[in-house]
Amino acid sequence: MPATDYQASFLGRISIRRNQVIAMDGNHEQELQDLELFSKHVSERFAELLSSPDDIPCHALLSISWLRKLLDFFLCCEAEFKGVLMMGNDPSQISKPPLDRLIPEFLDRSVKALDVCNAVTNGLESVRHYQKLAEIVVSALEQKPIGDGQSRRAKKALTSLMSAMNVDDKECSAAKATERSWSFSRRGVSSKDRVPEHFRSVSNQVAKNWSAAKQIQAMTNNLVPPRGAEGSGLASPVYTMSVIMVFVMWALVAAIPCQERNGLSAIHFPAPKQLNWAQSIIGLHEKIGEEWKKKEKKGTAGLLDEMQKMEKLGNILMDFTDSFQFHGDITDQKAEEAAARSVELAETCRRMEEGLLPLQIQIREVFHRIVKTRTELLNALDQVGKSSPPLL
Amino acid sequence: MDECQSAIPAHDGDLHVVAAAHHIVKALGTTKNLSDDLRKILIDLDAHLSLITSNIDSKGGKGFVEVEERLKRVERKIVIWESDRIMIWDSGPKEVSDYLEAVDEVQTLIDSLRGLSMNENQKQKELLHRASSLLQMAMSRLEEELIHMLVKHKQQSEPTYMPSPSSQRNVVYSESVVSLDNESAKEASSKSSRSDECGEYIVDLVPEHVIPDIKSIAKVMFASDYGQEFCEAFIGVRKEALEQHFDILENGKMSIEDVLKMEWCSLSTEMNKWTWSMKIIFRVYLMSEKRLCDQVLGEFGSVNSFCFLEIAKTTILCLLNFGEAIAMGPQEPEKLLRLLDMYETLADLVLDIDALFSEDGGSFVRLEFHKLLEGLADSVKAAFNTFRVAVSSNGSLYPFPGGGVHPLSKYVMNYISMFPDYSTTLNLLLEDQHSDVASLVSEPQCGPTASLSTSCPMACHLRSITSSLESNLHKKSKLYKDEALQHIFLMNNLHYMVQKVKGSELRPFFGDEWIRKHNAKFQQHEMNYERVTWSSVVLLLKDDNPGSSSLSKSAFKEKCKGFSIAFEEVYKNQTSWCIPDPQLREDLRISTSLKVVHAYRTFLGRNPAHVDDKCIKHTVEDVEKLLLDLFEGSPRSLRNSRRMMKT
Repeated sequence: MPATDYQASFLGRISIRRNQVIAMDGNHEQELQDLELFSKHVSERFAELLSSPDDIPCHALLSISWLRKLLDFFLCCEAEFKGVLMMGNDPSQISKPPLDRLIPEFLDRSVKALDVCNAVTNGLESVRHYQKLAEIVVSALEQKPIGDGQSRRAKKALTSLMSAMNVDDKECSAAKATERSWSFSRRGVSSKDRVPEHFRSVSNQVAKNWSAAKQIQAMTNNLVPPRGAEGSGLASPVYTMSVIMVFVMWALVAAIPCQERNGLSAIHFPAPKQLNWAQSIIGLHEKIGEEWKKKEKKGTAGLLDEMQKMEKLGNILMDFTDSFQFHGDITDQKAEEAAARSVELAETCRRMEEGLLPLQIQIREVFHRIVKTRTELLNALDQVGKSSPPLL
Repeated sequence: MDECQSAIPAHDGDLHVVAAAHHIVKALGTTKNLSDDLRKILIDLDAHLSLITSNIDSKGGKGFVEVEERLKRVERKIVIWESDRIMIWDSGPKEVSDYLEAVDEVQTLIDSLRGLSMNENQKQKELLHRASSLLQMAMSRLEEELIHMLVKHKQQSEPTYMPSPSSQRNVVYSESVVSLDNESAKEASSKSSRSDECGEYIVDLVPEHVIPDIKSIAKVMFASDYGQEFCEAFIGVRKEALEQHFDILENGKMSIEDVLKMEWCSLSTEMNKWTWSMKIIFRVYLMSEKRLCDQVLGEFGSVNSFCFLEIAKTTILCLLNFGEAIAMGPQEPEKLLRLLDMYETLADLVLDIDALFSEDGGSFVRLEFHKLLEGLADSVKAAFNTFRVAVSSNGSLYPFPGGGVHPLSKYVMNYISMFPDYSTTLNLLLEDQHSDVASLVSEPQCGPTASLSTSCPMACHLRSITSSLESNLHKKSKLYKDEALQHIFLMNNLHYMVQKVKGSELRPFFGDEWIRKHNAKFQQHEMNYERVTWSSVVLLLKDDNPGSSSLSKSAFKEKCKGFSIAFEEVYKNQTSWCIPDPQLREDLRISTSLKVVHAYRTFLGRNPAHVDDKCIKHTVEDVEKLLLDLFEGSPRSLRNSRRMMKT
């Protein structure tokens, strides 16, 4: 997926909006139109994400390119949201009820989202490590002919890969520390294939007791759809943007290894179905939630499509290497099968190689954008506070 | 390898040529002081020639006898270590070189076997498999040796010369404009972290003698196409080591949420730690790590920078995130110095960071730190502005008792006296806001004729801050009902400001002109005080008819009484007033004394006939003595003191 496409459409949308802003004279009707347009765009974008074809690997739900699209859309929605909230409107509105309560809550959510971004950025480092291990598997298996040596080499890397994925899932907490201690002595090791050496996983980037699941749960605090008259005012885009933010963070945490994710599937945010824009988000939430529940029991490092593929191929190739060692040799048919899987794995690695760094950079962009908007909102609040008569 | 195949001779006659060549190669191989490369070539050639020979021998199916023999020999050498629990590199140089030679030989055999056409020769295939298995075994072993080696040696590399950060842990600037206190500001926030710059201290993260061992493993593993395994193992151990060093620096890992909620005291400590850690991590550990990577991986191209980045990334992200959290937090005035420390530290390091991460993959890191630097610059400006706003808007409801030096003056003057340490940075950052302020401060120092130090952006900002302070003090002075006390208050505070400027590095930024002007200002208040307080009192003693020689007794008595009451009133009031500076207090007493005592003495001297105890309540000496009680800040009343004097 060429990122420039989104870039172009994003800029297009912005410039359309600019014209509208210039054209409008700040009356209420215009504001209503703006709000409508905003929620229309939101629903269009998320409908596109929901309808992503699962069978084309590079567009599959929760694949790297899907996540990048999600983040692109987040950035677009965010820009429009800021436009609706701050451009053309009477700035003092944000200090009046109900926004005087909703904006600080929104800012609070933003800060929590920043920590999620950091945790996910860190989690991507683990994914990168899986990629490197999978690449070793590929290197071993692309040799012709595959002999015992290649099979052992692949198995060793596979063992590391599978346990690394498992360790990360079992939470990057204290339990792991003992497991990955390097100071193993040769004494305890008797089997021919020694303990996989390259255990490497997420170090606690965020605070010790920090939990991604709890963080996202906390982001849903006070998140209720505006009622009655509020529903037609600026309270509604604040609500919409909050739901988008929570959803995006939730999806990232579900996809990418992250510190402490117990209870992630239990999180539901109250987005009423009758809201048009919310339908696709609810659809996506349900779809991903199902996946998570399925995997939760088995234990997985994350729902990232590429990782799931890696896990699946890893298991098949592991069987292959096992039987290789058991029988000493392998039928041509099996060898071909393994070669085909290894080509698939190579393809997955390639997609990671291409996509992981841009994804990481994009998450950073989201991070900076959230910071920027927060600063601007705080400044706006500050300005309003100054212009109102002092309390003393 | 095609040449090898085509070189396989068809005629028996050629066999002799091959044999002869083989012979020569073997003879050359025994030569001492051959370069490594040459020796390797000879060994390869040797292997090829023997294969050709054996291939010719084996026409008909069986063969590869010599290859198999050689394989068996190295197999023994490699397998024997599998049951051994001692590490090869711990066993001795002989064992190491034997093992490396054996691995080399396996690789050579594999290359040669691969180089030959694979005519469904079962024997050849089997030998190749065996050799590959053997290679895998050896590589696995080498990886283990590598990890063992890296782990074993990493602990010994703690640099011992570095001063511990605990010496500055207590250095916390805990005050804020809100909780104004006293003089403690100055010593509390001395810029301790600057004096002990750690500079560039590259240390041996792994003892020097181990490097060749690591390198030898790297060489063999890369040559056998096991470079990926080498990198993963290397990265794994080094990354963890770096994280351990980072933990030792006691950087609490905090979420942004935590940082934003943090109390100023702990936040200040964390900001100090960050400044310190940045220097140590980049200047010491990452520089050293880079050198280690260069030493070990220098000859393997882009792998080098890839490994370095992987090792460094998580630690760097941690430092980056704390910086971001600080840059986005509310910029209270008390943060200014810590922010300046952070900014200066990063500004100092940014070139090093660019150099460390000059490759493509590192552009992410470079960019993020440049962004952070901008963010910190904005924070410094914001904090500077909030400081300025706080100075001019700090309000009081009640007059400051005694008219002494207001805590705000102390706070501001002590705080800004720290700024000269940061003058380069402040000049840089305040440049763009310079013109606004320069026009605000309409003093000649800001003009084009002024000297450099008084016209730089920081100087103008400093003077704009003190003039904000002055106007705020004027506002505060209006809270006193007594006009004389207003003057005492302003005199005290202006005098304090001048003293602070004169006695610190602020002086060049304010300039002599400023000092002269402000000297004149407080002296003006001094004179105003005297006028307001004493003029009316002295007036009571004035001779109504300058012509006559002396007063009537009753008139004299009246004047004496009037003077006593007025004097006692002043005494009662002004003993509770305060002039903290002893010199200033002394000066004011002298000039008061000159004025009052002189007038009183003259008055009494002109009327010698009436001078007796009954109508003169205070003698000249009494008055002189009593004046010494003024401005001591302890209220007294003359009713008591007089009675005590009498008895």
